[in-house]
Amino acid sequence: MSDNGNKQHDNSFEPRITAFVCTWCTYTGADLAGTSRLQMESNVRIIRLPCTGRIDPLFIIKAFERGADGVIVSGCHPADCHYTAGNYHARRRFTVFRELMDFIGIDARRLTFSWVSASEGTKWKEIVDETTDRVRALGPFTAYHNLAGGAEEAMAGGVQ
Amino acid sequence: MTVKTLTTENLSHLAAALLADGTEVIAPVKDSSGKVDYRAVKQAAELALGEALPRKSLKEFFLPQTECLFYFKQVKNDVELTPVPTTFGPRIVLGAKPCDAAAVDILDRVFDWDYHDELWFGRRQATTIVTLACPMVDEFCFCTAVDIEPATRQGADMVIVPVAGGYHVETVTEKGEALVTKYAKYFSDGGKQAEADTFRAEAKAKVEKNLGINTKDVRAWLETHFEDGLWHELAWRCHGCGACAAVCPTCHCFDIVDESEGVNQGTRRRNWDTCQAGKFTLHASGHNPRGEQCNRCRQRVSHKFMIYPERFGVLLCTGCGRCVRACPGGMVLPEVLRRVNAAAQAAKTEPVTEGVGQ
Amino acid sequence: MKELQELARKLLTDGTVGVVIGWEEGPRGIRPYFCTRPEDADKLVFTPRCVHNLATYLSPRRSNVRELGKVAVVVKGCDNKAVAGLVRETQLKREDVVVIGVRCGGVVLDPYGPAELTANTVADRCPGCDVREPHNTDHLVGELPPPPPGEQRTAKLMSELEKSSPDQRWDFWIEQLSKCVRCNACREVCPMCFCERCLADKTQPQWIDSSPHPRGNLAWHLTRAMHQAGRCAGCGECERACPMDIPLMLLNRKVAQVVADSWGYKSSEDPAVAAPIGTFNKDDPQEFIK
Repeated sequence: MSDNGNKQHDNSFEPRITAFVCTWCTYTGADLAGTSRLQMESNVRIIRLPCTGRIDPLFIIKAFERGADGVIVSGCHPADCHYTAGNYHARRRFTVFRELMDFIGIDARRLTFSWVSASEGTKWKEIVDETTDRVRALGPFTAYHNLAGGAEEAMAGGVQ
Repeated sequence: MTVKTLTTENLSHLAAALLADGTEVIAPVKDSSGKVDYRAVKQAAELALGEALPRKSLKEFFLPQTECLFYFKQVKNDVELTPVPTTFGPRIVLGAKPCDAAAVDILDRVFDWDYHDELWFGRRQATTIVTLACPMVDEFCFCTAVDIEPATRQGADMVIVPVAGGYHVETVTEKGEALVTKYAKYFSDGGKQAEADTFRAEAKAKVEKNLGINTKDVRAWLETHFEDGLWHELAWRCHGCGACAAVCPTCHCFDIVDESEGVNQGTRRRNWDTCQAGKFTLHASGHNPRGEQCNRCRQRVSHKFMIYPERFGVLLCTGCGRCVRACPGGMVLPEVLRRVNAAAQAAKTEPVTEGVGQ
Repeated sequence: MKELQELARKLLTDGTVGVVIGWEEGPRGIRPYFCTRPEDADKLVFTPRCVHNLATYLSPRRSNVRELGKVAVVVKGCDNKAVAGLVRETQLKREDVVVIGVRCGGVVLDPYGPAELTANTVADRCPGCDVREPHNTDHLVGELPPPPPGEQRTAKLMSELEKSSPDQRWDFWIEQLSKCVRCNACREVCPMCFCERCLADKTQPQWIDSSPHPRGNLAWHLTRAMHQAGRCAGCGECERACPMDIPLMLLNRKVAQVVADSWGYKSSEDPAVAAPIGTFNKDDPQEFIK
């Protein structure tokens, strides 16, 4: 675990983590973490949605396709959703999706789901740090990134 | 034409020698579930010649299911295009089904029509096709009804016919000649002509029992029955699923897409497509000329038995029967052809000359 | 079978329906049959080779079927779950279709193959079936045969996969999904894949690569399994239709298992039972959420 940000490692693999977060809770909580000057890992790129209910599992698939090594999905605690029930729907959807990913053979440790409220800046920092450390230890998600369809294989004369 | 004999053991040695020389060897191979597919083999032991009909045709070795056409990359204000290679390493297909080899020859025409397709012909040039004469697979075969036969030489560079102890060999093209010359030590002189001819005649007679039609009459009927209740009837059971097109040796429609492979770069690819898909003819305007299944069913049959012959002089079907086996909705192309043939004959007001069979 | 044939004849003669969709003995084996005339009712059969899920023909996209008028459809219990699904999702009004349930003791996977029902020939969904006598139908015909033999191969394979390592599962799935040529047979035969504009066809933006390479295929099959969550009737037609023999039901069954374990929901013949995705409970399980 680190208390400093920008921790460099000798093997110089720094995971790329995409976070899909809801505007009203987690995004605001992340903002609070920022304004509170909390130090945290800098590997996470946040994509802001109005609500976790908007998050389609395809977003996660696309993130992995495009080079993400890990993904965070975070939103309001149950009963606190700005749109009343979006997070309840998300909860159901991701209950299924997570198990499906695991069944396919995608390491479940690359996916993090959390409820982070607007006042939980510290919790956001902990989620970010813990996820980054965990994904760094897992290494780059080359299995997904190298799925046929890439340019190098294209230059070798097509899929066969 | 050179005639030789090849023992079963020497076929295996020939395959091993080809592999050792760096030639890609494609042959029917059995997978763990017992299903046969054409695959590039790593060892001669994998060959499974003369068993079940390979699930897919040879099409994918000349028109891959997805194929990159070029790679594009934005560099400052310019776009760099990098084409893919159009020459390929030497390949040989050992033990192609005759219907599959004939299909490749049939497709040569459309790939040389309005544009000479370098990728198709690059692969064609690099490939020698050795056809294994077929004893007939099952009651779904109907190659004789579509102007070929189970021992056809169409598309083959060399034909081998099963005989006692191995194969009777006949070269067909220069590539076939080159093969027996380069690997002469595996072939012995003198074939087994009589035995081979018997095999071929028996196979032909068996397939003829499955379906007999007059393809010219069928074509004439199709030309004049664009609107017919038959298409609606077929459309009831047809799912428009495209399984038939996927396994068909002669279906060749493709879609071209640009795919991003990161920021400012990507590939243009061509992918298998099927006229049976609901959106195949969907225009950007929203109009869809073949939005109804009846039109798509009509299109498939017409393309194969009227349009392609009109344009290229050959049918776009080799009677392999895969469409019948693959269809989840119970479509049976021989049945459709029989009905059309019967209607065509009736229209000529001559005695119905339907082929022997059901 | 006489009972079914007489019922069909009556429905057609009365003009109650314009077509009875059932099964017939076609030129190569059993296949779907669209009986539009009372005198053809004798062609309707029900045998262990009647594997096809005819509910798929009720989908609104099938304009050529709709031309025939009101439909009576013959369904086994498993097929009936798809009818219920279409009604539940307002693709069909229950009163617009006449549902003829048929009592079933299992079917073989290959309608063109041997008719004998054994542990080897039986369709995978049949062993352990709990709807051999369909419910919520307008008519119910046939005698109840003994239960189907064998055990579900998919369930066995699923538990083997679950015991293997993630890497082994990944290798298995990439090998299987590499076979996919994106013919979309799985989608077109599925009664619950009725979307006029499938997400996979969307090009602005292209969420799912349309190319049949492993990357595109993985995105497609994961998405289809997710979109079928809680909706799949478990009929197995997708797997039967797949020309590349991809074990699609493994994915659908896994998702169905998660749905059952998490919220106690099983595919139902009753359209009034709400689907699990699209509904929720305030206290749904959430141990995986930090």
